[in-house]
Amino acid sequence: MTTADKLHDLPLTETDTNRLEMPVEIDDLVSVSQVLSEWGYLAAITGLDHGDRLEVLYHICHGPDVITLRVSLDPQAPTVDSLHPVFPQAGTYERELMEMFGVEVRGTPDRSRLLLPDDWPADEYPLRKEASDD
Amino acid sequence: MEPILTWARVNSIWAVHFNSGSCNGCDIEILSTLTPYYDVERLGIELRGSPRHADVLVVTGAVTRQARDRLLRIHAQMPDPAFVMAVGTCAIGGGVFQGCYNVVGSVSDLLPVDMAVPGCPPRPAAIIAGFAALMERIRKGEPA
Amino acid sequence: MTERFTIPIGPQHPALKEPAHFAFTVEGETVTSASVRLGYAHRGIEKAAETRTFIQDLYLMERVCGICSHIHASTFARAVEELAGVTVPPRARMIRTLVAELERIHSHLLWLGVAAHDAGFEALFMYSWRDRETIMAVLESLTGNRVNYSVNVLGGVKCDITPQLDTQIREAVDYLQERTEHYLHVVNTDRVFLKRTKGIGVMSTEQAIRWGVVGPLARASGVPRDIRVEAPYDAYADFPIDIVLDDAGDLAARFTVRLRELFETYRLIRALLDNLPEGDLTTRFPRRIKQAGEVIVRSEAPRGELFYFVRTEGGSSPSRVKVRTPTLPNMHSVLELAVGAQLADAPMILAGIDPCFSCNDRTSLIRRGGEQDIWSWEKLRQYGIEVYRA
Repeated sequence: MTTADKLHDLPLTETDTNRLEMPVEIDDLVSVSQVLSEWGYLAAITGLDHGDRLEVLYHICHGPDVITLRVSLDPQAPTVDSLHPVFPQAGTYERELMEMFGVEVRGTPDRSRLLLPDDWPADEYPLRKEASDD
Repeated sequence: MEPILTWARVNSIWAVHFNSGSCNGCDIEILSTLTPYYDVERLGIELRGSPRHADVLVVTGAVTRQARDRLLRIHAQMPDPAFVMAVGTCAIGGGVFQGCYNVVGSVSDLLPVDMAVPGCPPRPAAIIAGFAALMERIRKGEPA
Repeated sequence: MTERFTIPIGPQHPALKEPAHFAFTVEGETVTSASVRLGYAHRGIEKAAETRTFIQDLYLMERVCGICSHIHASTFARAVEELAGVTVPPRARMIRTLVAELERIHSHLLWLGVAAHDAGFEALFMYSWRDRETIMAVLESLTGNRVNYSVNVLGGVKCDITPQLDTQIREAVDYLQERTEHYLHVVNTDRVFLKRTKGIGVMSTEQAIRWGVVGPLARASGVPRDIRVEAPYDAYADFPIDIVLDDAGDLAARFTVRLRELFETYRLIRALLDNLPEGDLTTRFPRRIKQAGEVIVRSEAPRGELFYFVRTEGGSSPSRVKVRTPTLPNMHSVLELAVGAQLADAPMILAGIDPCFSCNDRTSLIRRGGEQDIWSWEKLRQYGIEVYRA
């Protein structure tokens, strides 16, 4: 099966010009990314806090097009698999995701802090909505 | 002895620069003052690599939580008398970064500031004016 | 057998730019692993943006980075305008593009100087910064400020090109074009400098694609990745640029690509000035955005692709702003390229990506027991220069 065929089989919805989206189950994230890695590069990982659930968005770009994979997570125990084997640079983005949103990333190579200070409390995640800004 | 030391100090100010959480705007303007167009070295002002050689600590940016201890340590490593110059609105009062979770405050919350150069960022000419005013204070022996 | 050492470098400070902390593990002279720790200049802007209004955020985003401030502000403005369904007048779009290109000139010349300084080429550093003042004067005349020019408002721009400015910009561009030709000649012919750049830090096209690097770094490895071409925005659709590529993938190629793309910038600036349409600078922008929505906006900053994700639930504030600067993906390539390189080349490999934080010039030797010494960036830079001098 060619990359184009595989892409064609994905349940993508168009949300905007040049933007496609699809919800992804936690277990399918790596295999779907594997397909998309033949098409584009991982531009960013965005965390979103909706209060009752967390969402992680993986933005994969190719030319003018962006495909966003949306993974919904339970805010009590959010866990995703690392995309490091698929996109080597994902490790850096995942370090940011772990410290900012408290998402556990299974199998990511470097778990150390990227941005937060050394003395930052271990269970406080600044980009969660409950964190106040002071 | 003191008048000779003051005379020497005023005519050869050595500075060390620390970015405590700046956006780089002030830092590139400080670098501009060192390059040929503004060239503060002609006034005896030189940027040094080590705080142990420096008379003036030039600080840019609001102080972040991670940079706070480094800032205090650098200041402690400087020989006496150590002067502090806060460059830019953020170093003086936090600027747009007031209230951010990783910002602990302005430079004056942590160190005695001898000279403040406002601006976002200050022009190189303003930075030079700040140095000139600081030199004048050192010459007159005014306390911070 | 050679001993294995870990050499942590930084974080203390920059003669410019932000601090960062690197740990290079070496066996003899060869780097065997590398890691990075950022966060010394981390302020928490993404969180702060959620508590402020769109208008306040415009000024906040301008201060993400003082070197490429305009591209941050204009990218954020484009995102909010898209959320509000507002179309910016053509003249304003052209002026945004014009300032973005002026900013690219200042940023590339700044980088040329800093990278030359890291290589120990002080004369090139001083000359390029002297010439950079030409463009700083233009930016000051145009906007009133040399850095953080604050050109944008939501729905347009607030500065205009007068006939006098038109002349000043053209003269500056003519002068800089001549100087850039000279610099291109210098970086390609100076034998000492070439020893620091030719064949150093080579990244193949395949690696560049796999690591997802962006900007001039990708283009120097033969990857045609430039948002201005791939997804044209503002005036780039009507005034396309030719992508500048080099397939050598080494440091020398990164110098060549950045300098050569300046010629494209000069050409584009003249074209924009020649074709500037008459018309309004701003359009009405609503106080509140009516509906919830999220947008992705990408721009080509001087260092590569800048990625903004903005979400709002409606109202006057965003509920999430995600900024991915070009340095982050490019940083990963430094960690990969440093492995197997000589320690003396590490500063230049880092300088080659034009990191939007760098750890120049600061010493603080902190003994951490036993075999660890923290090297300052200055010490490592000096070490690199000494090795090549010997």
